[in-house]
Formats: sequence, C-alpha cells, structure tokens
Amino acid sequence: MADGAESQADVLKGIIGQPTGKAKVVIERGPVQHFADALLSTSPIYHDPGAAKAAGFDAIPAPPTYSFAFEFAGKFTEMQPADAPKGNPLMTAMGPLIAGGGLILHGEQEFIYHRPVLVGDVLVSEGKITDAYQKESKGKTMTFVVSETNWSDEKTGDPVVTARFNLIHRSA
Amino acid sequence: MGEKKLNFDAVAVGDEAPVITHKLGRTDLVKYAGASGDFNPMHHDEVAAKAAGQPSVFGHGMFSMGLLGTALTDYVGVGNLTRYQVRFARQTWPDEVLSSKIVVSAKREEDGKKLIDLTITLSNGDGEDKLVGEATAVLP
Repeated sequence: MADGAESQADVLKGIIGQPTGKAKVVIERGPVQHFADALLSTSPIYHDPGAAKAAGFDAIPAPPTYSFAFEFAGKFTEMQPADAPKGNPLMTAMGPLIAGGGLILHGEQEFIYHRPVLVGDVLVSEGKITDAYQKESKGKTMTFVVSETNWSDEKTGDPVVTARFNLIHRSA
Repeated sequence: MGEKKLNFDAVAVGDEAPVITHKLGRTDLVKYAGASGDFNPMHHDEVAAKAAGQPSVFGHGMFSMGLLGTALTDYVGVGNLTRYQVRFARQTWPDEVLSSKIVVSAKREEDGKKLIDLTITLSNGDGEDKLVGEATAVLP
C-alpha cells in the first residue's frame, strides 16, 4: 500500500511542467451568440456588430468563459499544429484513478484576460501542467492536477487569455 | 476596448452589483451543453444520472460560472474583466433558484489603470454557496 502511494506521488511529480497540448481555434459569430444566449445574457453586444462597434469593440466580443468552450466550436482539424504533443499528462495521472472508481470534480477555474476574445480572431494555445498533488480529506484521497493554457493572437503573438484549470479526483 | 458602463469615480468599496436570479431548468442545461460541447450525460440524461446514483441531472459548473459572468459583465461592462476566478463549492440542481452576489472589495490604480476588485458568489434559495470567487475589472 505504501509503495502504491509512493508511485502515485512520483507520477504526479513527473507530470508537473509537461505540455498538455497546442491548438489553434477560429472565433466565429454564430457559436459566440449561442454561447451568450445559453448564459442568459441579454446584451446586444454579443448579437449585433453595430452594438459591438458602438461599445468600442472592433468586432463582436465573446463572453468571459468562452475560452473554456471555444475548442468545441472552432478547433478545425486541418489547422492543428503538426508538432502538438501527443497524449495528455492529465490522463496519465487521472486515468488509472478514474478506472479505480471515485469521482472527478472541477475544483477551480480562473481566467486572466489580456484583451477581449473577438469574432474573427485566430488564437493559438500552449498548455502545461503547473501543479499536481494529493491530500487526504475525510478518509478520501483527493488528487489535484492544475493546468495552465495560454491563448495568444496568431497574427500578433500578443497574449489574449490565460486559463487555469484545477481538476480533482476523489477516491471511492 | 470595452463597454463603458460603470465609472471608476462612481464606485465605492462595499457597492453591490444588481442581483441576477434564475430558477435552474433542465432546458438551461441542454442549451449550455449544445453551446459548450459538454455532453457529459450527468447534465442532461436523467436516466443515466439516476443510474449513477445522483438524484437527478445536475448543472455544469461552467454554466454557473458563465451565469455569474453575465452578472459581472452586466455590472462592469462587457470586455472590462481582467481576471475572473471561482471555486466550485457545490453542485447545482434543477428547480434551485440561483442568485448572484457581487460586492466591490477594493479600488486601486496600477500602471495608470483604474481597477476594482470584486468578491463574488452564486448561491441557492437556502443560502448555500455554489460558486465562490473573485474578479477584477478595469474601468474608465
């Protein structure tokens, strides 16, 4: 049992700093509008290019949590970088735990905004694991893995949004 | 670049943003699943959720964060957030009435930018916190 706990600690230590992926996404008007509607926004800025211009934007902006979903809407296969790392260290750590039962929880989420995400943007990302550790809580083993993804403007290279994602596995 | 809605000089520490209140429905979760691509059946398939031991489907954490994001941008203006962070404290359930609470916790100037810090929560009708977090916005 002690050996098992040690090797899991080694697995977690080993994934810190490892890349989680590279991606390219296109921000399109339809998905941005549907996303804003799903979040019950009534702002015309997400619907009307004229309203967006009047509010000072060069194009329709996306709601603040859109970067969590925009790979679904705009990560087109033929655009993806050939040198994207294969596999995901998140699954190296969590896969065997999930197979053993328990529950996966989204613990925390953070976004740092360098500028708004706009319709028409082409954004590129690089992600890495920034922390991984275990804690005992109320008789359960809690495994935490934190990843950070930096999205930047493909054209200018300027940072756009940084996302920090904290995933937890709670043992059965 | 950002919607001019709230003026730095008009804000005081302790000010509260208008509250958004919303009774969570299953249609909200289906719409969010479709808009976000999160098709985890725990959020839309009642049969699968019950088979997994849950009393019913439950809300996406990121739906809650997005809803609270709408309350934030309604207050500070679209495009003005510089940071938005939450901890997911509890699951949300259909028919719960979710309410936002956004309070100005600090005003400061940094590199010539006028910033406000906000403490934020989303809670249900019984006062149970679902999300607890912080945000920062840049204001004119």
